[in-house]
Parts: sequence; structure tokens; C-alpha cells
Amino acid sequence: MKQQTNSVIEEIDTTKPSQGFWSDAWQRYRCRPIGMLALGLVVFLTIVALFAPAIAGTKPVVCQYKGNIYFPCLGYFNRSWEAPIFTKDKFRGTYPTNLEQKDSQSWAVWPLIFQDPYRRVRENEWPGRRANPSRDEGHPNRFNLFGTDQYGVDIFAKMVHGTTIALLVGFVSMGLAGSIGVLVGAIGGYFGGWVDMITSRLTEIVMCVPTLVLILALVAVVEKPTIWKTMAIIGVTGWTGIARLTRAEFLRLRQTEFVMAARAAGAGPLRIMFRHILPNALAPVLVPITFGIASAILVEGSLSFLGFGPPPPTASWGSVLNSARSNLQLWWLVVFPGAGIFLTVLAYNLVGEGLQEATDPRLREAKK
Amino acid sequence: MATYLLRRILLGLVTLVVITLLVYGLARSMPGNPLTVQLGESDPSRKLNPEDQQRMLEIYGLDKPWPVGYVQWISKVIQGDLGRSITRKQPVTRLIGERIGPTVLISGTALFLTWFLAIPLGLYASARGGQIDERFTGLVLYALYSFPTFVAALFLQIIFAVWLRDTPWELPLFGMSDLSSDAPFFDRCVDVGWHAILPITCQTYVVLAYNSRFIKANLEEVVRQDYIRTARAKGAGPWRVLVHHAFRNTLIPLVTLLGLSLPALVGGSVIIEQIFTWPGMGRLFFESIRERDYPTIMGLTLMFSVLTLVGQLLADILYSIVDPRVNVE
Repeated sequence: MKQQTNSVIEEIDTTKPSQGFWSDAWQRYRCRPIGMLALGLVVFLTIVALFAPAIAGTKPVVCQYKGNIYFPCLGYFNRSWEAPIFTKDKFRGTYPTNLEQKDSQSWAVWPLIFQDPYRRVRENEWPGRRANPSRDEGHPNRFNLFGTDQYGVDIFAKMVHGTTIALLVGFVSMGLAGSIGVLVGAIGGYFGGWVDMITSRLTEIVMCVPTLVLILALVAVVEKPTIWKTMAIIGVTGWTGIARLTRAEFLRLRQTEFVMAARAAGAGPLRIMFRHILPNALAPVLVPITFGIASAILVEGSLSFLGFGPPPPTASWGSVLNSARSNLQLWWLVVFPGAGIFLTVLAYNLVGEGLQEATDPRLREAKK
Repeated sequence: MATYLLRRILLGLVTLVVITLLVYGLARSMPGNPLTVQLGESDPSRKLNPEDQQRMLEIYGLDKPWPVGYVQWISKVIQGDLGRSITRKQPVTRLIGERIGPTVLISGTALFLTWFLAIPLGLYASARGGQIDERFTGLVLYALYSFPTFVAALFLQIIFAVWLRDTPWELPLFGMSDLSSDAPFFDRCVDVGWHAILPITCQTYVVLAYNSRFIKANLEEVVRQDYIRTARAKGAGPWRVLVHHAFRNTLIPLVTLLGLSLPALVGGSVIIEQIFTWPGMGRLFFESIRERDYPTIMGLTLMFSVLTLVGQLLADILYSIVDPRVNVE
């Protein structure tokens, strides 16, 4: 008898704790092969973006020069992260021969593909390699996997470094749009009344101006567009959908018992809004943010395509497409960046869709 | 109903004033002005000397701070005058009148095609839900939905204007017409139609993909209702249930979508018109921003916003007509 009780207790002890909302959502998400494929693509793109200078570049990933270890490839992320000694010793961006000549003891680990996204690789820059073909001769070949543009700049390198830009645009601008949208929607939905009136009107006004019109006007106002300003502009124009959804969720949730309990316990409005309501409203808000990442990448692409994007040295996919407009016979200038934008947008849309189906209880019922 | 309409219109007017104020402020804060941008780009030697420039600015009323300019602009608008374009030396209304035809030709045809194809596609998708062929078309439509228009436009241009050059399939690369205006009317129509194929394709496919998915999603929701089960139980055939019982009830959200597509119908697409150098509204807007042509920017903004607001109002009213349970008030 005693033993039986013990085994029952053991059984109770070993049963798993009940699943939380997010682990439950993950279980559901994992069952969708297309969603998982898209998630895999997103992870792959993130890895490419993070390691872009190590995949394609003309600066060594690691090198030893005059007794010290340097990481010149970081210069692709930020100019000032490239050690000043190389400027002092007049490397002028050409590493392979200079390293050899100025310090015979030096060694270096090179990126996988020796090509530069910002300039043409010259003859013998890498010992024994010919210069990049330019004008209309840059068909994809052994050295230029995706071909070169009319100035002889390698498209593969541009694509790899463009991944960093695309993901940065997606995350930074949607981070901004998400913060504005959640804040405006939360304030309007929680307080209601005339506060809601003002925030709703504000949302409606921004919604009424066609997005591209507003963005073009803003870009024209900013005198020297940089990639960061473009991101900010996409962010401040893209928050309306998120705000409306957040507002609806807050309107619904502020009447629930747990909010009343929190209020009875003496929590202030800020605490209720962001500690109690927001975590419960997060899933429906996360879905438009994921779709928003896709559309931000799309908007940046179209801006660069129209020639309104960040100025030339920035290697964005849209600007490669823009250079293809006047050279339509160079098909590789369209196919590769076009496929890049398409697959990225598709991946984020599919992830958003998967997230929606995994977290929306109404859709969950439908699938049963 | 009347009080509701009045309230909506008043609110809409307030929104319009705020939007135009915002855009006017933005337009006037863009670096440069119509005179410097236009002349400085074409030929540096033709730059105006400062006195002439000052005089011209006074003529156009651009020497005063922008809030004053805005008040002048809006008081003219109330009298029904959108002003004259500075760079094109034409009344803005006439400019819009010239550009609206080409835009509606593209977007109207695209809108018609979209609905003409989206409804059968949506019905088909929900009739064959879960089957292999439906999942395949669904995936293709989803891919199309994510396919950027500017990439599609470039692909189409490469295929039809470069690779198929000198074949019967060759399509013109850009522009609206190659024929001079004294060519026979019929030939000119054919020529314009020929030029319009690619832009129409580009504008149709994205919306088509979105709309057919929208119809399918709505149908799926309706199909789970009790009255569908009743219809099936009384022995109605699958198509009759789908078309007669289910589809009629999905018309309600479709009507909203139709109302919301009003601004796109007249506003056109900046990107597509820019790629195909189609002389429409989107391109006019793009050019007017580049030229800092304030009256044109403002006229177009006003038109876009009015259409958006009217579209929303129309959607709400149509909604209450189609679904008597909904009361707009």
C-alpha cells in the first residue's frame, strides 16, 4: 500500500509542468515544414549578414603584421574599426601584396571570396589574378560568381554585404516602427476617451497619406541621405498598422480580471500597461512586425531602385537593381539581387504567417 | 444617416487640413526651390542672378515663410483653384487631367482583371482546399504576393524587350506610344494597348495574389458556419453551397476592399509608372518632388488624401448596405 502511494507521488512529480504559451506556439510552429524552411532561411541570412566581411572582401579576416594581430575585415562594418597602422603604412586598401612587401613575417586568413563590394579588383591585386571584367563583359565566371557590374565591381560581394544592409533595415526600422506603434496604440487603448480620440486621429492621418508619397517627401527633406536616415524614415512612416492592432488588443484586455486585480493591488498605469497587458498582447502585435520587416526591406529596395536611397558606396540590393535599369542586357544584375530581395521578403512573410497560425487561437480552432 | 455623414465629412476635413499642412511644411523644407533645382541642373551658366531669383520668388509668393504660403494655398483651394505648376507653367488641374487618363487605363484594367481572376481563384482554392493542386497554386500565389513589383518589371522587360527582340512576342520597353499623333486612331489605340501590357501585368499580379488569398480566407471562415451545414444537410450540391450560400456571405469584406482600392485606382503606382516611363499620376508626383514643384505636389497630395478618405467612407457605407446588421451610426 505504502509503495503504491509512493509510486503515485513519483508519477505526479515526474509529470511535466504545463506548457507555457510560447513553448506551445513553438510546438505548433515546428509542425509546419514551410514555416521551418523559411525560418531556416532567415537564420541563414542572419549568419551571412553577420559574417559578410569574412565571406567576401579584400581585407584579411585576421592577420599578423609587425608582431601584432589585427582584424582589418571589421573595417567593412565601420571605417574606424580598421587599425590605423594600415593607413599609416599606406596600404590603401590593397592588402595581399602590401602585407608581403612590408613585413615578410606576416600571415593572414583571407575571406572565402577575394572580391570587394565597393570597388573593382585590379590586376595582380591577388597575385596572378586578372582584373575584374567591366562594362558588358562581366558574365558570371569562376572569380565573379554572380558577375560584375559595368564598373567591374563584383556582384557576389555586393550581394553578401547587401544582406547586412537589408537585415539592418528590416530590424532597425521595424524596431522603431514597433516602438512607436506599441506606444501610441497602448496609450490610446488603455486610457480611452479623448486620449484615444487624439491617438486614433494621429494614426488615421499618417495612414491617409500614401506611404511612398510620405517617404519620398521625407527623403527629399533629408539633405544627405544615409542608410540610417532611410531606416529612420521607414520606421516613422510604418507604425500605423501596429498601433491599430495594439490599440484593439489593449481595449480588449483592459477590461479583463487580471488588469482589475493589478489595479486593485495598486499598480500604476505604466506598470499595468507594460508589465501586465503588453505580454498578453505581444503575439498579435508580433505578427504585423514580422510582416513589417519584409515590407521595410521592400521599401528600402524600391527607394534605392528609384535612386532615392542612400548614396552609392552603400551596397544595397536595390541599388544594384537600379544600375541594371540602364543595362538590361546584363541580366545578372537583375536576377541575383532580385532573387535576394524576393527570397528574403518571402521568408519573413512565411515566418509571419507561421507565427500567426501558431499563436492565433481562432486559426488554431480552424485547423482542428 | 445624415448626421453620421456630416460628422464623418467634418472629421475628414480636419484630417485633410492636417495632412496638407504637414505635406506643405515638408515640401517647403526640402532643400532648394523650383527655380534653383530646375535651372541649376540643366546648365550652371543659366543660373539666375540673386536679384532675378528674388524677384521670381516674389512672383510665385515663395519669399514669405511657409505657414503664410500654406494659408494662401488653402484659401485658393477653397475657391476651387489648385494653382499653377511652377516648372510646367500650366494649371495643376489641367496637368492632373492630362495624367489621369493613362493612369486609369493601367489601374482600371488591372483592377478589373484582379477581381475577374481573384474570385474564381478564391472559389477554386476553397473548393479544393488541402488537395495537392490547390496547395501548389496557393504556394505560387503566395510567392507572387512576396515578389517585388520592381523586380518583376525588370524581369518582364528583360524577357519581352531584350530576349524576345525581333520576335512576334517583343513588347515595347517603355513609354505609352511610339506613333505620332496624326496616325490613324485605331492604330494608335492598338499601339497604346501594346505598351500597356507589361505595366498592367505588373500591377495586376500582386493585388491578384493578395485578393484571392483574402477571398479564400473569408470563405474558410464562412464554411464553418452552421447555415452551411444546414445547406449541406438539406442536400444542396457542393458548388451550390459554395457559390450560393458561402460566397454571397463573403461579399461583405470584399466590398470594403473594393472601397479601399479607390485611391490606388486614380493615384497609380509611382514605381511601375517610373519603370515603364508611363505618363501617369505616380510619375507626375515623383517628378514634382524632384522639381520642388510645390503646387503640383500639393494638388496631388490633396487628391490622394481626399480619395483615401472617400474610399474609407464609401467602404463603411457600402458595408452597412450589404450587411443590414451593421449600423454605421
